[in-house]
Amino acid sequence: MSGAEKDAEAEAAAEVGTAAETAAERVLEVEGLGVTFGTDTGDVPAVCDIALHVQPGETLALVGESGSGKSTVALAALGLLPGNARVSGRITVGGTQVVGTGEAELARLRGRTASMVFQEPATALDPLTRVGAQIAEVIRNHRPLSRAEAAREAVELLRRVGIPEPERRASAFPFQLSGGQRQRVVIAMAIANSPDLLIADEPTTALDVTVQAEILDLLRGLAADYGTGVLLVTHNMGVVADFADRVAVMLRGEIVETGPVEQVLLRPSHEYTQRLLAAVPRLALSGEDAPEREGASVVELRDVSVRFGRGPSAVQALDGVTLDVRPGETVGLVGESGSGKSTAARVALGLIPPDAGTVSLFGTDLGRTRGRRRRALLSGVGVVFQDPVASLDARMSVAECVAEPLRMHRRGMSSADRRARVAEVLELVRLPKELAARGPRELSGGQRQRVSLARSLVLEPRLLVADEPTSALDVSVQRTVLEVIAELQRELGFACLFVSHDLAVVQEFAQRVVVMRAGRVEEQGPTMSTLLRPRSDYTRRLIAAVPVPDPVVQRRRRAQERTEATA
Amino acid sequence: METLLYLLRRALQALVVILIVTVVVFCLLHALPGGPARGILGPQATAQQIAAFNHEQGLDRSLPVQYVYYLRTLLHGDLGTSYTLNEGVSQLIGQRLPKTLVLTVLSALVGLLLAIPLGMWQAVRRNKPADYVITTLSFVAYSTPVYFLGLILVLVFTQTLHWFPSQAPQGDTLAQVFADPVALVLPVVTGAASMVAVFSRYMRAATLENLSEDYVRTARAGGSRQGAILFRHVFRNSLTPVIAMLGYYVPVLFGGALVVEQLFNYPGMGLLFWSAAQSSDYPVLLGCVLVISVATVVGTLLADVVQRVVDPRVKAGRT
Repeated sequence: MSGAEKDAEAEAAAEVGTAAETAAERVLEVEGLGVTFGTDTGDVPAVCDIALHVQPGETLALVGESGSGKSTVALAALGLLPGNARVSGRITVGGTQVVGTGEAELARLRGRTASMVFQEPATALDPLTRVGAQIAEVIRNHRPLSRAEAAREAVELLRRVGIPEPERRASAFPFQLSGGQRQRVVIAMAIANSPDLLIADEPTTALDVTVQAEILDLLRGLAADYGTGVLLVTHNMGVVADFADRVAVMLRGEIVETGPVEQVLLRPSHEYTQRLLAAVPRLALSGEDAPEREGASVVELRDVSVRFGRGPSAVQALDGVTLDVRPGETVGLVGESGSGKSTAARVALGLIPPDAGTVSLFGTDLGRTRGRRRRALLSGVGVVFQDPVASLDARMSVAECVAEPLRMHRRGMSSADRRARVAEVLELVRLPKELAARGPRELSGGQRQRVSLARSLVLEPRLLVADEPTSALDVSVQRTVLEVIAELQRELGFACLFVSHDLAVVQEFAQRVVVMRAGRVEEQGPTMSTLLRPRSDYTRRLIAAVPVPDPVVQRRRRAQERTEATA
Repeated sequence: METLLYLLRRALQALVVILIVTVVVFCLLHALPGGPARGILGPQATAQQIAAFNHEQGLDRSLPVQYVYYLRTLLHGDLGTSYTLNEGVSQLIGQRLPKTLVLTVLSALVGLLLAIPLGMWQAVRRNKPADYVITTLSFVAYSTPVYFLGLILVLVFTQTLHWFPSQAPQGDTLAQVFADPVALVLPVVTGAASMVAVFSRYMRAATLENLSEDYVRTARAGGSRQGAILFRHVFRNSLTPVIAMLGYYVPVLFGGALVVEQLFNYPGMGLLFWSAAQSSDYPVLLGCVLVISVATVVGTLLADVVQRVVDPRVKAGRT
């Protein structure tokens, strides 16, 4: 045999080898997956013709907006879809076919070959069972250990996922842990039997950015240690850039683009991916401060303190908070959950009376104003809350929702004038006239939030308080809603107190920023200099924790962080 | 320590509620047509006789003074005297309360032991034929008047099958009651029927709600079987709302006892109440009302305490 022949043969053998290996090695393989939900009003197709795979040690991110079907794919992979789902196609997990397999056999698979981390750590754990016992249950589902051995191993797992004092925490109930700790417990359950595949469905969406960074670090480390393949379902492009090797983009139940993370995030080929990425708010790395605004403050909180509750269980929600908003400007109020930012906004709205300090609205002390004058004063403030479903009365039509403030504060207005004003405001927020007669539930999330905005603007307020107005919305919808607010602000000249946990959004829309932590103002100043050159460690940490949707930049930031941490 | 303080606080609250009940009962006593005197002396009594009686009994004093007097006799365990039986109300109730307690507690136990598994089973087989059949039977059991149900049971099990006697155990002591357990079956079943209907519905709803909770999905994703999920997780979580309902169910149980005792000729408090109502024996009626009110308050208190034991979040004030 000549040398060349030998080489060719070896090559062919190698090729066959790799082909066979990849097929065998893939921890998850999905082919031609279709899922249809049967409902009272007919069949609703959720996903169609999905093909994807995950190899050991690799992370595939499945991204898309709400309703794209990404969670359906994740649940289908473990056979966890609800009873009204009809599944077609092929799903193979660690060599086992999932579609059409009975519960008993799936139970052997779940938690051992493949396991799952869910979005909402607040509800993912049994509230009445100690966390150690919940982890031990997963261990004993698959391994013949005694109760005591499983309990010991549960403590070990808690230690591995970074829970302090794991011996003590193992006997805690879920409500005694923070959101981040609960998610660590869910992760401990997921890795209890060292699975080959980990499916993480929006694992950090319900968490603060700093906690999100910790959880992502933990997941990345665990996946690397065990060579676990990860299917990461998320809507957050920053998380994708931070974590994924490959990306599959979903739109309306189909995968429209798939490829390595650098390619998809930096050089997207599909028009939808391009649009999605363009809508993602990004932290700018340079920029100038906006010129300082002149004029008397429209709202001013001075040394405001608020306590909730009494006795030893009382919570100091605000502690000596001082901030103001000047005419025509947007002030971003940022901080993590529990920092008091929403409480501060509610104080500015006169909804919560401060225990100490003063609130003045348009130069008048709100604490000394009562009755009719107080109502007149407060009618100059519009408000938009986070959840447009909860904040609009489902029994009213859109027009009635928007007209309600007029009925309250402009009693003398004729109904013809009122109708005209409502139509005018709906046009301002770019809602088609036809929607006026519909109910809020018939609208999309973005449309509903624009109804909230119309309602808040109908009295021509001088101040708009927006409390996480876009947190419940998809990025593309978020962008249009934020643009409507910014445009109307230029047109109508109201000032805006903008509460958000999203630093990138605040950086883009606010001229000044107030950073809050544990009820205190950590620092405040012009947006660009505060966010680019933060003076406090806390702000620095907050910014460092926000993942940017660029895998190259994100990797550099992570490396930098690590050297800083070790230094 | 924390638990002790809690119990103390709850006991004080219960005491306040019971005091309010005594005020209501006291006011009712005095709202009787013609007052207690007319009730005792009868319609033929002269105005003089009534005045003398009122003076003798201290009924001509101001109402607050009388209330304090009433409360004092109450604290001595004196609920007044029956108009018709010529015996102390406390003695009458003291004799009969244990028998009624036996009946109601047994009915409640039997009812719950049937209702809880039934409700869970229905939830698991939701919208399947078995679920529909049990649901229908529950509605039938719930909407059938207790006395009618009792009559049917007597007709079937006594007259036709001769399995059980139609009379509850007779005799005044508990020993005598327990000496004849077969005779207790029909009264207990009759009392338990509506309880099974109501609580299997609660349990079904609670189980269904819990089955759709995220933690069930987490447990399934960890490889737990349906049975293990039901018994380790869903069962306890579904039980808490059912326990809360139990406390409020105490007066309903007593209401049922009223009919059951009459039907099976079982001389407990229900029968006492029944005959007192027929002879307008107000002191007995109001004494019974007071006892049932106290039982309800104690029942809710017990339910709260049990719930605190079952659900650690209640103790931490997180629900």
